Amino acid sequence: MTHPARAGLVVPLRLEARSLNKRYGAQVALRAVDFELAPGEAVAVVGENGAGKSTFSKILAGAIRPDSGELRLDGQLLELRSPREALRAGISYIPQELAYVPNLNVADSLLIGRWPNRLGFTTRAAVRKEAARVADEFGVELDVRRPVSDLRLAERQLAEILKALARRSKVIVLDEPTASLTKEETLNLFRVLRGLCRAGVGVIFISHRLDEVFEIADRIVVLRNGAAVADVPTAETTTAQLIEHMLGVAIVRAERDVQAETAEPSSTQLPTLRVIGYSRPGLPDIRNLNFELRRGEVLGLFGHRGSGADVVADGLGGRIGDFEGRIECGGKEFAPFKNPGEAKRAGIGYVPPERKRDGLVLGMSIDANISLLVLERVSHAGVINRHTEQRQATEWRNRLAIRSKSVKQSVESLSGGNQQKVMLASRLEVHPIVLVLNDPTRGVDVGARAEIHKYLKEEATERGTAVLWITTDAEEAVIVSDRLLVMRDGEIVGELRSAAKTQANALALATEEVASTAVAG
Amino acid sequence: MAGTLRSRLPSLEQTVINGSQLLGVGGFFIALLIFFSFRATHFAESSNVLNILSNVAVVGVVALGQAFVLISGGFDLSVSGTVPLGGIIYVTACNDHYNMYVAGGLAILAGIGVGLANGLIITQIKINPLITTLATLSIIGGLAFVVSNGITITLNNPNQAPLGLNFAGVQIAVWLLLALSIGMFLILRYTVFGRMLYAMGGNREAARLAGLRVDVVTTTVYMISGGLSCFAGVMLANQLLAGAPTVESAANLQSITAVIVGGASLTGGTGGIPGTLLGALVLGTVANGMTLMQVPTFYQEIATGAILLLAVGLGWVRGLVQHAVWKHSREDQIAQAAIAGVVEDVSPDLNPTGGG
Repeated sequence: MTHPARAGLVVPLRLEARSLNKRYGAQVALRAVDFELAPGEAVAVVGENGAGKSTFSKILAGAIRPDSGELRLDGQLLELRSPREALRAGISYIPQELAYVPNLNVADSLLIGRWPNRLGFTTRAAVRKEAARVADEFGVELDVRRPVSDLRLAERQLAEILKALARRSKVIVLDEPTASLTKEETLNLFRVLRGLCRAGVGVIFISHRLDEVFEIADRIVVLRNGAAVADVPTAETTTAQLIEHMLGVAIVRAERDVQAETAEPSSTQLPTLRVIGYSRPGLPDIRNLNFELRRGEVLGLFGHRGSGADVVADGLGGRIGDFEGRIECGGKEFAPFKNPGEAKRAGIGYVPPERKRDGLVLGMSIDANISLLVLERVSHAGVINRHTEQRQATEWRNRLAIRSKSVKQSVESLSGGNQQKVMLASRLEVHPIVLVLNDPTRGVDVGARAEIHKYLKEEATERGTAVLWITTDAEEAVIVSDRLLVMRDGEIVGELRSAAKTQANALALATEEVASTAVAG
Repeated sequence: MAGTLRSRLPSLEQTVINGSQLLGVGGFFIALLIFFSFRATHFAESSNVLNILSNVAVVGVVALGQAFVLISGGFDLSVSGTVPLGGIIYVTACNDHYNMYVAGGLAILAGIGVGLANGLIITQIKINPLITTLATLSIIGGLAFVVSNGITITLNNPNQAPLGLNFAGVQIAVWLLLALSIGMFLILRYTVFGRMLYAMGGNREAARLAGLRVDVVTTTVYMISGGLSCFAGVMLANQLLAGAPTVESAANLQSITAVIVGGASLTGGTGGIPGTLLGALVLGTVANGMTLMQVPTFYQEIATGAILLLAVGLGWVRGLVQHAVWKHSREDQIAQAAIAGVVEDVSPDLNPTGGG
């Protein structure tokens, strides 16, 4: 379907951005990005991790100010200094993680701060009636009397969209809204979004999932390294073309034919880690995963947010329970781990994705953080040998090039990349049989990232540690892995080896359902 | 080389920041001593100094346990119940002709039991420590009344109160506080257990993911606090030659104040024994000095509250200093996080932050 705005009719633009620029220090996050959105149009913004999608959406949301460039809403120049101003202007941003007031019901939270009142008095009935009217108007099925805390994520999202509508927003920006939704919930969301478009609201849809983008968007904008490299009507493009734009390389068709690659066991030795029938109900359901990992091998596990790859990492690290299946590690068999201690004793070193929240004690020194997992080894009869501890930390500092003034410095005062290295050191000091990394370079600058890649490869080849590398970054997945598994909707949809192990194939498998039949390993 | 010089700087920086609280409290303490020496009659006399010390001994021992709890990220309000309970059990057992060591042991065991209950409720039923220990405070306080019939029980045999006697001119209770402090200081500073407390208080989830048995350690900490509180009750009974359900009803607030004044934070992960002792001394000195100046007791309570606010305020200033020192590196991190697309949520965070 061609949108009226594209069909030559003169429709004033709802939202218009002209040469937006944003840089952080030496790094360019956005360069001269132009963007147009007509009333009632749905535009998808796609791109790899770090392409600038988040920066772009956060500029629209008023959370980040661009260095230069201008933004117009219905022809009027916008100067957004805060999220509040964006809201007032009529741009609603719906983030991935939704904040809410837990004790309010849907009606109250929908009309928060603008409850219908007479001289400051309001009644529950009046609030409920007004909220129900808004819901009705846009065809959203949601019981407005339910407490927000009882809603499922999909319903909370709908409530959030309703809130935007109640404010009479002209533009709604959704940041990866379907990452944690079921298929049905996604379809329902799309139905609501189409209703919005008919009512003249502009929808900006930021996503990883190309199949969904094709379903909802009138037009697709591709960002790469901060620049808008393509702006095409959905009807005139294909998944393959989009992936080419996202990666900046042409896909060689032949590479898709992976069946030719036969699985050759690289050695006769037993696998270091075998995961058998690994399953867990949840979002998404993890269904019967089977894979193995050999000594010295780096196995990549790539999947977008919501694919369940991170759930697998958390399970192998003993962080979350409720798994079924079996795990064989270092020649011994285990039931799925119920706590982090079990995983550690089985020989698994787990690197969680959020170092500040889950990986480090920020107020403690570098050496104390590095010995946190091996306290029994650096101590004698319960007394810590501080000399051993410091020597151990100094070795890691040299080996990983942790840039700090001393190992007694608190971890809080280090940069992100160096904090990440400290966390890695603490996990490697355990000398794990298997190292499970959950997005280990998130929020780490390019230099430190390359160092971490290099070091972990060495760890695998020189010490023989088996590494399971879970990532949402296709480029990283391809660079670091010897062999790459791709997950989608809780299942392993393919295995890529040698020549077939390309970003394009990984993305195709992760985003497109049809591909799974073509490239199944 | 410049490199070696620079490598020394951070620890200096760190020491200044960490030490500022202790220096501040130490300075305040000295100012108090000078003030009361001039304004309160008999304040500077050695008998009064000994008096202050023996008064501080009881709250000090409670504060040592409280320090462990606060550093590990918890909270123990129930000590105001366990202190009198310990005293009553000791006196009752002694009057029943039990050996005084047995009586003391019973009291300490009771305290450990209370701590075990606190720990299990907090870790297994997962009720917030504040609520849990508030509830057990009420229960234990009531229990102390039941056991004693609500009256003061005097110790029949004064020979069973050795802790109130002097050794080398100083009350044995004070020596015990000193000995316990040294022990606790060494535990916190040099042992795996102490390290676990700081790690758990600093980041409980990181400690859990590191494979530390946080539930076991948490329960142990409350058992230590309970045991020490009951022992403090025994010390008090030795000093008073009696046990009563109404003594030391403010032990919880005083011990928490002492630990916080000594540099701990309510969210855990910081604090230490020297600071805690200094905090207890400040509180004891203020109470004593004001009594000598014949200021009514309720003014003393006002002073205690003011000191707590002052201490927290100092912590806030310290936070500002740290922020200024590290601001630069943080900005870098935020910029990098933004590029990777992990900048925090932009919608106004309406979630009330979890208390405790």
